[in-house]
Amino acid sequence: MAIIAGCFILCIWLVGIPLLTGAVPAFFMERRKPSLAFMWTSGYILSWALFQLVTVPLVFLRVPQGFKAVVGLFAGLSLAFAAAGAFLLLRLVRKRAWRLSLVSGESGGSVQHKVYWGIFLILAALQLVLAVGMTYQDGDDAYYVAISTLTESSNTLYELMPYSMGATGFDMRHGLAPFPVWIAFLARISGLPTVSVAHVAVPLALIPTTYLIFYQIGRQLFAKRKERLPLFLCFTAILVIFGNYSIYTAENFMLARSRQGKSALGCIVIPMVLLLFFLILAQAEKKKDLWVLWVLLGAAVTAACLCTTLGTMLMCLLLGVTGLCGAAAYRRPGLAVKTALCCIPALIYAALYFVIS
Amino acid sequence: MWSMITTSFQNFMGTGLIMGWYLLTLVYLWITEKDRRKRVLLLYAPLAVLALYFNPLFARLVYAAVGDEIYYRLLWLLPVTVVVAYGTVCVYDRIKSRRKYWFAALCAVLVTVSGSCIYASPHFHKAENLYHMPQAVVDICDAIQVEGREVMAVFPKEMLSLVRQYTPLVCMPYGREMLVSRWQADNPLYDAMEAEVLDMNVILPLAKTYSSHFVIVPEGKKVVGNVEDYGFVLVDRIDGYVIYQDPGVYIGL
Repeated sequence: MAIIAGCFILCIWLVGIPLLTGAVPAFFMERRKPSLAFMWTSGYILSWALFQLVTVPLVFLRVPQGFKAVVGLFAGLSLAFAAAGAFLLLRLVRKRAWRLSLVSGESGGSVQHKVYWGIFLILAALQLVLAVGMTYQDGDDAYYVAISTLTESSNTLYELMPYSMGATGFDMRHGLAPFPVWIAFLARISGLPTVSVAHVAVPLALIPTTYLIFYQIGRQLFAKRKERLPLFLCFTAILVIFGNYSIYTAENFMLARSRQGKSALGCIVIPMVLLLFFLILAQAEKKKDLWVLWVLLGAAVTAACLCTTLGTMLMCLLLGVTGLCGAAAYRRPGLAVKTALCCIPALIYAALYFVIS
Repeated sequence: MWSMITTSFQNFMGTGLIMGWYLLTLVYLWITEKDRRKRVLLLYAPLAVLALYFNPLFARLVYAAVGDEIYYRLLWLLPVTVVVAYGTVCVYDRIKSRRKYWFAALCAVLVTVSGSCIYASPHFHKAENLYHMPQAVVDICDAIQVEGREVMAVFPKEMLSLVRQYTPLVCMPYGREMLVSRWQADNPLYDAMEAEVLDMNVILPLAKTYSSHFVIVPEGKKVVGNVEDYGFVLVDRIDGYVIYQDPGVYIGL
């Protein structure tokens, strides 16, 4: 019974809360007809950014029983965001100005179209089944998953040695990217074993998140030929499954090491930044600007810092290069300036990293 | 520096076939893609990232900041999957006859041949339980752990990375640091535990210096020495492992 209740709570925190959180930026989008996919993915990005903002100061200040404080603060703030999202959703539904859609506009069409959707859904479902039925033993789990387990059981933040013994020196460097603490949070709130949350539940949530981002990128790429979207998704799924051409690829990390922050960076945050730039440049083409997209880009940068300390550098590089290319191509220096402003969280965490190192 | 960059790139791309498809798609899109937004995000920005990646000055900066092991992660900024899938669908779109279905099937086959199925990796295997831990680790940890306090146990090599993922209540005198050769960790107890013949006259006195409650050894390994001479007793045999306990070390029961 406790396991069923735990699974239900986990579903709320891995599906319900991100969806409602994502309803806040979705409300401020241009057409106010955003998809569930947009709500889900932007909800995750906002949640992770919030978690980073809550956790790192507590790690840095070495607050006693720091994890307990993280759980209380993050749960409270997340619920507040989710409540705001629910309120905004209700407003739209009452006005009948909005309808939920995931694959609206793409689900109709010819037989071949439906066959491609079927193939994609089978490939995606196969990955989820194998995420539960198969396991990949990676040496780095001895650090990341063990940190999650230790954090959940001891209420401390990066004060215990994961590899072997009990107490150790304070590990501030890893504490700057507390993705394992997010997993510990999920374990604490659900009451399920941390190791199961890390190895089973997190992949089940994050693999679909990546495909929902690919889906939205596909919508941008095939805006006028939506019937091509399922074929595009079929190829992304095949490229992911056969993406093990080396152990270093983001696709390998996505399916084999989903519980590690590095995987979340490579397979969720970086594709999300690409999606946000598609939306930002779409506005630039219309000579418009949408502040909520810049907020989400800043949140994505902060979320990257949660995933891994390298996220700071990768985000500065990605945003720098893309912002400059976009500004040059559209002859809008403002794009580069706003992109640079979005890098501020990464620069702050990078400065902290070098101070600590 | 240049050789380190190219080695890192070669290690990343494996056989190089998928990366070859990616570069070919970039060329195709460079010629055919007219949409400015797609050109910026799928062509200009990734090519700028590639130019930076192969720039020795930039590489020197990154190496100095974060080390050489993770330089390859810069390549995660290239949207390889999105670009290859998009380029393939664009070509598919240009084929008007039924041959386009054959083209799609051929491309799918080419990707499977060029890449490598992740589930075929030797590191992937069937999960034995919902902890995704070997059942032996779960059973042994359940047998030795004491609720509310930590116990010290000496484990064989194959369990070092797993024990503390499953439970924080089991501590070990050494852990994963012994498995990473570049960290150059050294521990005589680990060396004795991994010797072909397990000499209890060496292992147990060393285990006692760590106040170890338990020593776990594989059942199939040859053992010399009498454990009782050192105050240890055989308490259980689980999933092919023998558990010895030192009742002299306070365990809190």
